[in-house]
Formats: sequence, C-alpha cells, structure tokens
Amino acid sequence: MTSIIRNTDLKLTNFKSKKPVFHYIGLFVRYLILVVIGLILFTPFILAFLGTFKTDAEIIAFPPKFLPVHWLWENWSTVWKTDIGRGGTFPRWLFNTAFLSITVAVLEVIFCSMSAYAFARLKFPGKNFVFNFMLATMMIPGAVILIPSYVLMTKLHLINSFFSLIIPGAVSAGGIFMLTQFFKSVPRELEEAAHIDGATSFQIYKDIILPLSRPALLTILILQFQGMWNSFLPPLLYLNSADKMVLNVALSIFQQQYKAQWNLTLVGAIFNAIPVMILFFIFSKYYIEGVAYSGVKG
Amino acid sequence: MHNKTKSVQSQPLIAAIISFVAIFIIIMAIAIINAPTMGGAKVMATAASYLQEVKRTALPFLGIVGIGSIALGFIVSRTVFKIWPNKRNRSSMITGYAFLAPYLIITLIFTVGVILFALYISFNSYDIFTPPQWVNLDNYKNAFRGFVDPASKDFVQSLYNVFWYTLIVVPLQTAAAIFLAVLINAPIRMKQFFRTVFYGPSVTSSVVITLIFMWFYLKTGYINFFLAQFFGVFGVDWQNILWLGDPRGLIQIIVTSLGGNIPSTQWYLRGPSIAWMSIMFQNIFTTAPTFMIMFLAALQDINPILYEAAAIDGATNWQKFWKITLPLLRPIILMVVVLGTIGSLQVFDQVYLATSGGPLGTSLTPVYLTFREALGAQGPIRMGYAAALAFILATIIFIFTYVQRRFIERGTEQY
Repeated sequence: MTSIIRNTDLKLTNFKSKKPVFHYIGLFVRYLILVVIGLILFTPFILAFLGTFKTDAEIIAFPPKFLPVHWLWENWSTVWKTDIGRGGTFPRWLFNTAFLSITVAVLEVIFCSMSAYAFARLKFPGKNFVFNFMLATMMIPGAVILIPSYVLMTKLHLINSFFSLIIPGAVSAGGIFMLTQFFKSVPRELEEAAHIDGATSFQIYKDIILPLSRPALLTILILQFQGMWNSFLPPLLYLNSADKMVLNVALSIFQQQYKAQWNLTLVGAIFNAIPVMILFFIFSKYYIEGVAYSGVKG
Repeated sequence: MHNKTKSVQSQPLIAAIISFVAIFIIIMAIAIINAPTMGGAKVMATAASYLQEVKRTALPFLGIVGIGSIALGFIVSRTVFKIWPNKRNRSSMITGYAFLAPYLIITLIFTVGVILFALYISFNSYDIFTPPQWVNLDNYKNAFRGFVDPASKDFVQSLYNVFWYTLIVVPLQTAAAIFLAVLINAPIRMKQFFRTVFYGPSVTSSVVITLIFMWFYLKTGYINFFLAQFFGVFGVDWQNILWLGDPRGLIQIIVTSLGGNIPSTQWYLRGPSIAWMSIMFQNIFTTAPTFMIMFLAALQDINPILYEAAAIDGATNWQKFWKITLPLLRPIILMVVVLGTIGSLQVFDQVYLATSGGPLGTSLTPVYLTFREALGAQGPIRMGYAAALAFILATIIFIFTYVQRRFIERGTEQY
C-alpha cells in the first residue's frame, strides 16, 4: 500500500521548476543588497586602513581621495615607536592589553564553570536563592558600581595595578548563567556512572563536564577576551600611569598627542582592531553562538 | 575540606586554616605572575627588587582578604556543623558552596558591598581624602536643582539628552537589526559568509569606531564629502558643517527655518543637537549587527511549517512577515529593546572621546557626569554627588526595564 504513493509524487518540483523571469531579477537584487550592506558596514575600516598610509596633509585634505597618493609605510613604525615617557611605549600598551585580556578570560572560564556546575548539578540548601540573587545582580547597571569601586580600589592601593581589573573581572553573572544553561543540557548518564564508580564532585566536574562542554567554554573565553580588550571606562579609571595603560586608553591620549595627525591616530585604532578582528574571523561560529545565546556582549 | 578522622570541634579550625592557605597561595601566585607587568624591567633587574614588588602587591590582600577568610572560614564552618550534624547533608552543602566560593566572594565584595557603600556615600559629602560628612538628601536635591536653577542644569540636561538618545536609537537599531536578520535568513547561498561579514565591524571596540568616525566627521572628512557629492543640490554648504561641534538642536533648526527663535534659557525645547545626533548615527552603525545576531538565532527557531501553511493560503511575503515573523519574534524584540535601552542610558565612551559633553552640554550623559564629578575633572571631587547621580540613573533604568517588560509582554500571551 505504502509504495503506491511514491516520494516523487509528493514533491512540488514540477510546480517550482517554472520560475518566472522576475524570480531571477529578485534574486539578483537580493544579493546586490547584501553585498552593498556588507560593503557599507566595512567602509569605515577600509577607509581608515587606507588612511593610515596617507601623509599628514593628505589625511585632512578636501576633497578626500580614496587611495593614498604616496604610500607612507613609516606611519606604522612611527606609531610603534611612540614614547610618551615614564615607560609609556606602544609595545608596552599592547602587552598590557593582551596580558589583561588573557588573564581575565582564563580566570573567568575557570570560576564561571565552577559556579555553573554547582548551579546545574549539585544539590545544596540555598541554591535557588543564590541563583536568583545572581540573576538580580545582572540587572545592576555598571554605572552604579563605578564610583564606589574606584574608592575601594584607591583604599586598597590598587589604582595602577592590574589587580583592579583582574579581580572584579574574574567572575561574571552572564557567563555563569550561560554555562549553567549549557551544563544542564549535558546528559546525566555519564555522571551517574562515574558517581557509582566513586568519583567525587570535583572529579566529575574536571573529567566529565569540562571536556564535554569545550565549545561553550571556548565561547566564554573568546567573548570575555574581547570584552576586556574592548573595555574602556574601567581601565580609564583604574590604570592611568603611562606604563600601565591599556591600548584603548592610550588611544584617547594619542588623539591629544598627535592633534591633527589623524593618520597616526588611525594606525593606533586599526592596530587595536586587528587582533579582535582576526580572532573573530577564526572563531566566528563561537562568537555568534555566544552573542545569540545570551547577549553577553550587549 | 572535610576530614573524616578529626573530631567535630576541630573541624572549623581546619576549615579556617585551609581557606587561609588557599587564599594565600592564590594571592601569592597572582602577585608573582603580576610583578613583572607592574614594574617592568626595573623590577626584574634583581631578585631582591622582584621580591619587593611581590610583597608590595600582595600585602594589602593578605591583610584584608587573608584575615577575613580565616574569620569567615571559622564562623561559616562552625555554623554548618551546628545546623547540619548529618554528614551527608553537610558534605553536599560544603561541596556546593566550595564551587560557588570564588563567585560569591568576589560578588559580595565588588558588587554588593560596593553598592551598599555607594548608597552610604550618596548621603555624604566625600572627596576620598577626608572622612565623609553626612549631608542628608542634599546630593539628590542638587541633582534636580536644574529644574529651577538654569545655572546648574547639567544633570537634568544629561537626562534630557539620553532620553532623546533612547527615543531615536533604540527603535532605529531594533528595526535595522530585524531588517538585516530577515535579509540574511532568506534562502540564499553563503549565509555564513554574509553573517560573518555583517557582524565583523561590531567586534571592535567603541574607541576604535569613535576615532574613525571622528575623522569622518571632520569638516574635510568623508561625511561632508559624501553629502556634498550627492546632496549638493539642496543648497546646503555641507563643507562648513562641523558635525561634532554643532550645538543647534533638531527642533531649533526647524523653528529657525520657519522664522522663529528658541532662546538659550529654553534649551529643553531645542531637541537633540547635531553633535548628539552624529553620535547616535555612529552608535546605530555598530549595535544593529550585534542585535541582528540575536534575531537571526530566533528566526531560525521559527517552524517553517507556519510559512508553508501561509503560502498555501496564498499569503504574500509581506503578510508572512507581519503576521508570522514579527509576532513570533516578540520575546526577542523585548530583550533587544530592554538591552538597547539599558545601553543607551549608559552611553559614555563616545561622549568622552568625541565631544567631552560639549557643545553647550548637548551631549552630556549621566555616566559621563558621574565620571567627571568623581574624578574632579571640573572643580572639586564630589564622590557623594556622583554616587547620587548613579543611583538616580539606576532607578530610571529599573523603571524603564519594568515598564517595557509589562508593555511588550502584554501582547505575547496569545502566541
């Protein structure tokens, strides 16, 4: 009986194959729109990148030219050799930013996954209360914490120390929330087997949960790395001596340092954008999943 | 953390010692790793100077956090043993909180503790160096004095600015994000590629984007060039517009072109200034792709059967969008609007870099004001006042979030 109705009868191939001409026109227009929007979104970076090779006069000339007349590669080496005194050099700022971003991201993955494991798997009194408390702290706007944190950091003599960013950055409610949701989706059977074999909670966490949730951990790692790399207000408040600055803060000084030399400021800006861009193009899948899932980046 | 052989009385002591040793090791490890980055080459020159640096960075923590941890470990474990003499319950409790410990300690100090402190100093006059002095509600009163006294209108004006900002940016960025998401979600090839390309610019920092746009907004920049090239026919002298330095408001321009005039005492009728709208435009540019990703994820969850059913009933693409896609996206729209509002009310980076609150205070924002007052960038350091401003802003954010939630969720029950 079942073989009478063949699969091909159900398909709408015949119906669909007669495509009118305007279908292809519509398709063409659709791709055109996509390409144009993609180009528009990238225009600032393309123009800025080309701008980094322009001379001082050319960068503010009107009407502006698309391509530089003379390709001035020295701009990049000038910026690399920037020295504002007291140890404030460009390589140093780059190092500071990278060090902070990596430390914060790694600590965050460790601590957030620990808390998330407790929320997702362990049973203990007060769990729901603490979880709701965590959700409530997610609602607190960063601006409220700003002033008293600054006072606290001053009192702890942490101004101009990387601790001031590492310690509060080591945990985030958003990361814990996202990992909790992920850990809940990990099948329980493996853990139960391990539990019967006498594994402790820590062993289950270390040997089963963590290896199984590598994609989620990588997502958190990347998002937090990017978050720290791009953050501006906290480093601006806490790290203000020339040798402790991060790239973002240094760039705002650049702009005063080089005044009308926009070509040099742009080199700094592009320099700052490149590592995150490269990271994004390599790990774009994880980025997009992370943002789509929780809006951690906001 | 739980030792089987020891008696119940000695357990709290062991817990206290273990927690101190753990914290000691963590602090020393961080200090040792951190020391070279703190002082640079000078510190690394000799072993003695290196140790000196480690000591200098670790000591404040060992004092406060270390001693605190002894007391806390002792008290907590004592309470635990008293309340849960049953070993099984106790060990599950200890494991649970041991996993949560890093999160709880950091959050309790750097979020909860700090907010309580902010609440306290918002009722004080405080400049960090001298002890706080209780001034009752003066800080809160000063914040709103702008309603009666135009000379101190800064905070009121900053609220006025961010309300315009929210009003314009949030709907536009949400609409743009939905548009981009629907565009990419259509049956096209290289979906992944376009998604990556669209989202790419949004991963860079706001500082980079702001610097690039500041360059665009120069009198001789690309924006003026583009406008002169394509809209030169309107008779506007585009080249003379200084986008980030123009205090004329939107409503003011319309009124002026009709022959009217709004005096500077009635600044609140002038609308968002050109400088402020320039910042808005730049911000929509980067936030729309971020929110696009969220919409895209939601669009992919919609059951295609719904569209097929609609197609059989003869619905057009336009009808499908309005009757199926939008209603099903409602929860995500709510989330995006709430997140967008929270972000809009806290604009800082762009203002700090591009305009410093100027021209004529038309791009002041509450967070920028908070920062300015707390650091004493203009006049004395006023921590208490800054904290009060932050609390008022937080209250406004809470109210907005709550109202939007009620407002948008009301329609979602039927789906």
